[in-house]
This record gives sequence, structure tokens and C-alpha cells, in this order.
Amino acid sequence: MNSMDQQLATRPANYVQRARVWYALLVLVFGVFVIRIFYLQVIRYDYYKKAAQSDQLKQYVIPAARGVITAHLGDGAVPIVLNQKLYTLYADPTIVKQPEQAAAKLQPIIGGNVDDIAAQLKGKDTRYTVLKKRLTPAQNKKVLGYKLPGIGTEEQDYRTYPQGQMAAQVLGFVNDNGEGEYGIEQALNKQLAGTSGQLKAVTDINGVPLAASPDNISVAPVNGNSVGLTINVGMQLGLEKILKAAQDQNKSKDVSAVVMDVHTGRVLAMANYPTFDPANYQNVSDPSVFSNDTVTNPIEPGSVTKLFTTATALQKGVITPTTSFYDPGSWTVDGTKVSDVEEDHSTGQQTILSTLDKSLNTGATWMLMQMGGGQIDAQARNTLYDYFNNHFMLGRATGIQQGNGEEADGILPGPKDTGSGINLTYANVSFGQAYTATALQMVTGLSSILNGGTYYQPSLVDTVTAADGTITKIAPKVAAQSVISGQVSQDIISLMEQNNTNHIHEGFGYLDFGPNYSVGGKTGTAEIANPLGGYYPDKVNGTYLGFVGGDSPQYAIAVYNLEPTKYSGFAGAGTGQPVFANIAHMLVNDFGVTPKS
Amino acid sequence: MAELRTARYGGQATAPAGEVRRHRPDYWLIVLALLLVAVGLTVVYAITPALSVTDGVTGAHYVIRQLIAVGLSAVAFLITARIPLRVWQKWQMALLIVAALGTLVALVMPVLPQYPAHRWIRLGGLSLQSVEMVKFALLFYLGTFFANRYQKGNLGDSKQTLYPLLVLICVAGVVIGGIQSDFGSTVVIVAMVASMAWLTGMPVRKIAPVAAVLVLGAVLLIASTPYRRERLATYLHPESNCLTTGYQACQALIAVGSGGIAGLGLGRSVQAYGYLPEAQDDSIFAIYAEKFGFLGVMVLLGLFGVLFARLRSIIERAPDMFSRLVVAGVLAWLSTQMVINVGAMVGLLPVKGITLPFVSYGGTSVLFVGAALGLVFQISHYTSFGTRNVQRRKDGGDEDSGDGRRLRRPYHSDLSGRS
Repeated sequence: MNSMDQQLATRPANYVQRARVWYALLVLVFGVFVIRIFYLQVIRYDYYKKAAQSDQLKQYVIPAARGVITAHLGDGAVPIVLNQKLYTLYADPTIVKQPEQAAAKLQPIIGGNVDDIAAQLKGKDTRYTVLKKRLTPAQNKKVLGYKLPGIGTEEQDYRTYPQGQMAAQVLGFVNDNGEGEYGIEQALNKQLAGTSGQLKAVTDINGVPLAASPDNISVAPVNGNSVGLTINVGMQLGLEKILKAAQDQNKSKDVSAVVMDVHTGRVLAMANYPTFDPANYQNVSDPSVFSNDTVTNPIEPGSVTKLFTTATALQKGVITPTTSFYDPGSWTVDGTKVSDVEEDHSTGQQTILSTLDKSLNTGATWMLMQMGGGQIDAQARNTLYDYFNNHFMLGRATGIQQGNGEEADGILPGPKDTGSGINLTYANVSFGQAYTATALQMVTGLSSILNGGTYYQPSLVDTVTAADGTITKIAPKVAAQSVISGQVSQDIISLMEQNNTNHIHEGFGYLDFGPNYSVGGKTGTAEIANPLGGYYPDKVNGTYLGFVGGDSPQYAIAVYNLEPTKYSGFAGAGTGQPVFANIAHMLVNDFGVTPKS
Repeated sequence: MAELRTARYGGQATAPAGEVRRHRPDYWLIVLALLLVAVGLTVVYAITPALSVTDGVTGAHYVIRQLIAVGLSAVAFLITARIPLRVWQKWQMALLIVAALGTLVALVMPVLPQYPAHRWIRLGGLSLQSVEMVKFALLFYLGTFFANRYQKGNLGDSKQTLYPLLVLICVAGVVIGGIQSDFGSTVVIVAMVASMAWLTGMPVRKIAPVAAVLVLGAVLLIASTPYRRERLATYLHPESNCLTTGYQACQALIAVGSGGIAGLGLGRSVQAYGYLPEAQDDSIFAIYAEKFGFLGVMVLLGLFGVLFARLRSIIERAPDMFSRLVVAGVLAWLSTQMVINVGAMVGLLPVKGITLPFVSYGGTSVLFVGAALGLVFQISHYTSFGTRNVQRRKDGGDEDSGDGRRLRRPYHSDLSGRS
């Protein structure tokens, strides 16, 4: 010690100076720090505040709950489309720690391959990667229980269908992005979807909002409207059963039918077979099955059209229900022979009723000729066009709530003579060829005749219930009034009833509904145009238009049985008529058809 | 009195030497250390909910562990403050061997996948960072080394002084900087060697070439390892790779900058919620800056500044060269870590992964820093007459007379315990 301090004395406190130099250096560094921190926290504050917010402040869309869809059952309504919450599992690979261990934990829950999941968790070029969709609440709870950094779940609504496949094509479905596709879901997407809310919040790195911050903004979502359909659940299920059986029996390409309330234009049942399962729409391989053919597939309807031709002629006063005329067996129009296909076709005296009963093309053409004063001319064409287009609205989309532009028009040729055999075309139109219309158009046009002349726009929506509980009843909308006179309405009803009676006597006993019910109809065996020209020799569609009621018609029914391959006789009587009868029996038995007083 | 005045104004040249007295120790050391520890605990406590989000630990996990570490650290402080310095000096080689063995154990121990570096000795739930033991042992080893050469006057002798030091630095560079990938601690050790060499009076012409070689070596080291190259690139352009290697640097700047003048408030840190990694540990300064703003940072820097000033003043009045060197080693250790840590958080230095002394969560660091401060506290008991002028100037305000009463009325004047 002593010697050390001796030296200290000889080399006086050099260390003190050196300590001060060192300390001065430290003070200098502190000074630099202070300047730098002042620069960061005071001068560049706004920049870093913004940088922080762009990281921390996250904007969320708070999804609005999609409205449910209900339908009538008995006197009440039941939900047929509901929501269920499922979860989307995602990862932010930049935050994930120990991807292998995390993958090993996730694999038993979400399935798949551990290595693939780990690879996804390691992908550093993204901050959002979806690991699995549609996790159940139980799976979600399990995943969140692991508290894996960088791995989270998002809630998403998915549709569920208590009635399974029922009315699938009428309803459509909701895709993974929450958008309605096809049917009601697409047509009323905006109403059903509601308005999503917004949440701007400071969050942790996993996006979980932290406690209240002045930067947080929250706009509550407005949930979607619920829609009550005019569909009757029991009737719809019954109709679908009938159509499936018919398709099985006739081996048809497709069987469609619509049941409409004659007095309101409301669709009570509407179905096609084959159909699909809306809960698993993603597994459908042929998307054409999504379409509701009753509104999307116009065809040449065939002889059911004769009802409209007759109504037009009656309304124009060129015939009466009891008018008789001489049928020469064929007419020559624009140089082409128009003749019948009916089996007991012969020349001789015919009536309006026999025209319908035997489905005489010559009879329909004769009625068209009467509109022109004895021949098919511009006046005849204009008259038929006017009634088909403006009164019965055939070949015109109805505006029913289906899809977005999904509903088809069909084609009704204009009456103008363009020099390509327009009179022959119109002769064809008069008995149901050379123009196309959907089943819905046919049944709606028929309803306007049956109810005394009021054309109601067809509708599938009965009520709309807002998120706050306000219920709006959708009243039937009159699209055209006095389409035909009350007298013509009575005449057509009577002719259809008589036609039905005749068919019973001809051996179709299943059309007998007894004395308490009024049932009428018309068959159609429609040839199918070959896109290459002419008509297929071996393919037809069996169609039917009819009604069932008591003192007056209550339900109008259209049946399109497309390209049946197994049946006897003509397709109309062999495949359209029995489907109609089954539907009519179901309605009489189970759905309160009011008997005659 | 006249003599004192002369000493006061005339500098050290006229000061009598050789008389050492024991007196009241520097309690400021304890006060400052406790304040810094309190700052750390407060921040760790405040970000507990954030940590439980990101690390998935329960509530007070970190606070409780840190409290235990602080308790152990206090015990270490009491032990090192009590055991006389000469005893430590006597066992200096044994201590260094223990530290070297510890390092060896850390090197052969299996590592955890999330912490792949061979830096830890794990015993059950406990883990020790071996390099902290090395720093502690080096205080005595280097102190003895330089004090001996100071005494012998062969500080300028390359063979006796410079080469052994170079060997030491190389070993530290290879083992700690290379194998353990702990560049930050290597810098701390080099800083300890350099400050002691400087303080003992090693000629500048000896220090300068070594410094040049070290800088060159550091550059080579950085250039040779991709991991360091990346960090350097990150340091030069933190914005350009915010999502990858520069992530921590970027998030640290955002945390500091968004704190503003007054800070977001104690419970208001957002960056701790998973944005800034190591929020409780190496990045705690940035979180503190986010919470307390520029004003708070000035207070924290002030605490460190005052602490370092106390150490400097203890160096100046310490009774002998060995004591002086131990305090110098502690000052080099604490100040270098603080500079590296804060420098990284404010974007002036590359991110190094080193703790902020007293403040950062981390048991080993707190434990050995406490032990080191205990040594300083013991040394602050004594003053050599040679530096009484400094004593007067620094502490005169504490005593009303301002006449060096403290020197004339020591609490103890027994020097028998010291040679």
C-alpha cells in the first residue's frame, strides 16, 4: 500500500485526469443520446405516432348478422334458413413461435399434415394465412386454449338449413364471402345482408382490441332483414316428393312445377328435380343444378298455349265457347301444311272444347284465322301478340325475387312480317310452338285468366322483418288489370273443367276429384327445337297447366316435365298430367282447398 | 486549512498522500440502484397483461421472478459489501477459474430450441448467464493485473502487459463473441479492459494500435458472420427491412418516438402487446420511453448519469489503485451496457441483445450487477487524502461547514483491515 501511494505521489493523480476524460466521453455520449431522443420523441413525434397507429390501429368490419328466411307452416312461420357461427383459423407467420410444435398441436384439431401446417406457419412473406375454414365452436375453443402466438380465429356466419334440401333452388346459397348466390339469397342479398359495422381499435399484435383508447371508433352493424316467404313448407315438401317420384319414373332430364295462389300471384310451392344441398353447395360439380328452372328455363310450352289462344279469341268475340267449325285436317299457311298430331285425327266438324280435348293444332290455327277475319294476317298476328305479350305476359321475365338477372324472358316473335313465313310462325305460336316461356310465366298468365282478369306480379316474399322487429307485409302487386273479361274467365274455367271431365271419361280416373271440387287443365306435348334447325324427332317435353278449387279456382299449377324417356301415350298426358293430378290431390287432401258450396 | 485550500484550488500536485480514512459510505449508490430497480419493476408490472398475451404466461410471472432476483441481488450486495476487498483480490484467480468453468458448462449444456446460443447454465428452473460471472471475476483479475503493473511500472512493457491483455481479449472474443454469439458482452469486456488500462495510465501509444486492431477485428467479425452482417444492414437501413431483421429496431424506434414529450402513460403502452420483442428485457428502455416520454427518459438518463458520476467520484478518492480499478471496471461494465442498450433502442447502434443494468428483467444480470455495486459500496467507505480536494468539491454541499469536516471526523479511522 505504502509503496503504491509513494508512486502515486511521484506520478500525481494521473488517474484523476484520465477518469475525467473518460467521464467526459460518457457525458458526450449522454449528450448525443439526449439530442437523438429529443429528435425522436419531440421533433419526429408525429411521424412515429402515425407509424405506430398504422401498426396498432386496426380497422375491423363488424359483420351484420344475415337475416333469416322463414316460410309458412300451418298458421305460423318456421325458419328454413338460419345462421351458425363457425371459425376461420389463421396465422401471422411473422409472430408464430416454434412452428413445428404449434403445427403438432393444431393437426389433431384441423387434420391434414403436420409438415404442411408447419410450412404454412413458417411462410414469412405473408402476415395472414388461412389454415382452416369452418371450425366448430368446440374446435375453436380448443385452438384458442393453446394460446399460440400469431395464431387466431375469426368468426364467420354460415347458413344452416333446418329443412335440408327443401327449396334449395328457390333459396340459393351464401358463399364463403358472405354473398348470396342464386335464388332469394342473391335477389334480396342487400336486405338480408344488412349494413356491416366498423371498429377502429388499437390492438395487440394478434389484433385483439385493447381497452378503450381515444383513437377507437365503433359503428354498430345493422343486422339484415329477415324474409318471410310465401312458400308453404308442407306443400313445398310434398311437391318436391312428387317431382322426384316423377323424375324417377319418367327418367326425365328435369321436372319442374309451380303452385300459385290464383288470387294473389303468390308462389306457394316451386321446385325442380334434380336439386342440390345448399349446406354443401361447394361439393356440387354441375353448377346448372343451382338454377331454379321454373324461372330460368323458358321452353316451347306446347299445347297448354291453346288456353291462351282460346281466351284471346273469346275476348275478341270471334268465337263463343260453343262455336263449332269445319276442320279440314290441315291448313296451308305460307305454303306449309299445318296439321294435327292427335291420334284420332280426322276431318269433320269440331268444337272449341274438342279442340282442347283432342288438342287440335288445326283448331288453334282456325281460332287465330278468325282473329284476322278468316285468315292469318297482320290483324290476327297483332291481336295474338298483344294478348300474349301485354295481357298474359308470356316470354317476359316476371320480376320475381330470384337471383340477379337470373330470371329468363323467353322469346315471343314480333308480329311484323319480315318475309320469312311470319304467318306460319304465328300458326305455330297459337298451339304452343315457335315461342318460349317459363313455367312461372305460364302459371301466372293462367292465374290472370282464372281470377277474372287481374295479372298479379308473381312473388315469393310475404313479409320483411327489419332488425328492430318492424314487420312489413308485402301486398300482392297488380301488374295489369282487366287482362280478360270476367265472362271469358268463366268460359275458360268451364272449358278446362269440361276438358278434365272428358279426360276422366277417356280413362284418366286419377283426374276425378269428386263433385265437391272444381279441377281443370290442359296437356301439352311440346316439340323441342334442334339448335341446328327443325325439331328433334325423338325428344319432347310433357307440360301441363291446370287449377284446383271449389266455387272458383284456388291454386294454379304449371308442370314442365322435360325430355321424359319412360312413359306411355303422349308426353303431356303421360308425364305432365299425372304430376298435375298428384299435386292437385295433395292440395285437396292437405292444403285446405275450399269445397264447392 | 491553507493546505486544504491549496489542495482544492491547486490540484492534486500538492495533496499529501498515503493517509486513508474510513467514513460513511456512499448511500447514494443504494438510493440510485433502488430507484432504477423500481423503474424496471414498475414497467415490467405495467406490461404484465401485454406479456401474458404474447408469451402466454400467467399474471405476475415476470414481476415475481424479478422480485426474487432483486432479493438475491440485495443479498449479493450485502455479501460483497462486507467481505473485504483484499479477500476478493486474494481469490481472484479462483473466481476467474470458476467463471471459466461456468462458461465451459454453458458451452456443453444442451440448448433450448427457442434460445439456440450456448449462453446459459440451466439447473432445474434456474438459468444463469455465464458471461455475467466472467464480468464479475474480471473485476478482480484485471484489477490485480493492472495494479501489479502499475506498481512495477511496466505498464508500457508490451511483453508484460500488452500481449497478455491481447490474449485475454482474443479468448473472450472467440469464446463469448464467437461461440456464444454474444458480441455485446464481448464489447463490455473489452471496455472493462480498456478503461482499466486507460485509468492505470497505460501509454496512449500502446492503447491506440490495440484499439485500431480491435476495430479492424470487429469489422472482420461482422463481415464474416451473416447474422451480424444482417444486423448491421438492419442498423444502417432499419425501415427497409422492418418486417424481417430490422423488426425489433423499427418497433423500438416506433415505441420511443410515439411516446412524445410526456408519454402515453404507465398503463398505456401498446408496443408491449407483442409488437416490440423482449419488451420486459432488452427492449425495456423503449417501452419506458413510450410510457413516460421525453421527460421520463431524461429522468432515467439522469439517474444513470448521477450513478456514473458517483462511481467516478469514488474512483477519484478511492484509497488504492486496486480499489480504483475495481470501481472503474464496474463503471465500464454498467456504462457500456447502458450505452449499447439505449443506443440500440434509439437507433444509434445496432441491436445487440444486452440488458439495461438494474432495469431490465433478467435474474443473472440483476444479481451480478448488485454484487458489483456492493464492491463499490465497500470501497466508498474509504478516502485517500490524495483526492480530498475532489471529495470536497463533490460532497461539500452535503456537509454544512464545507471545510472537509468529514475528513476530520471520520466514523472509523481503523485501517488495520486494509494493507
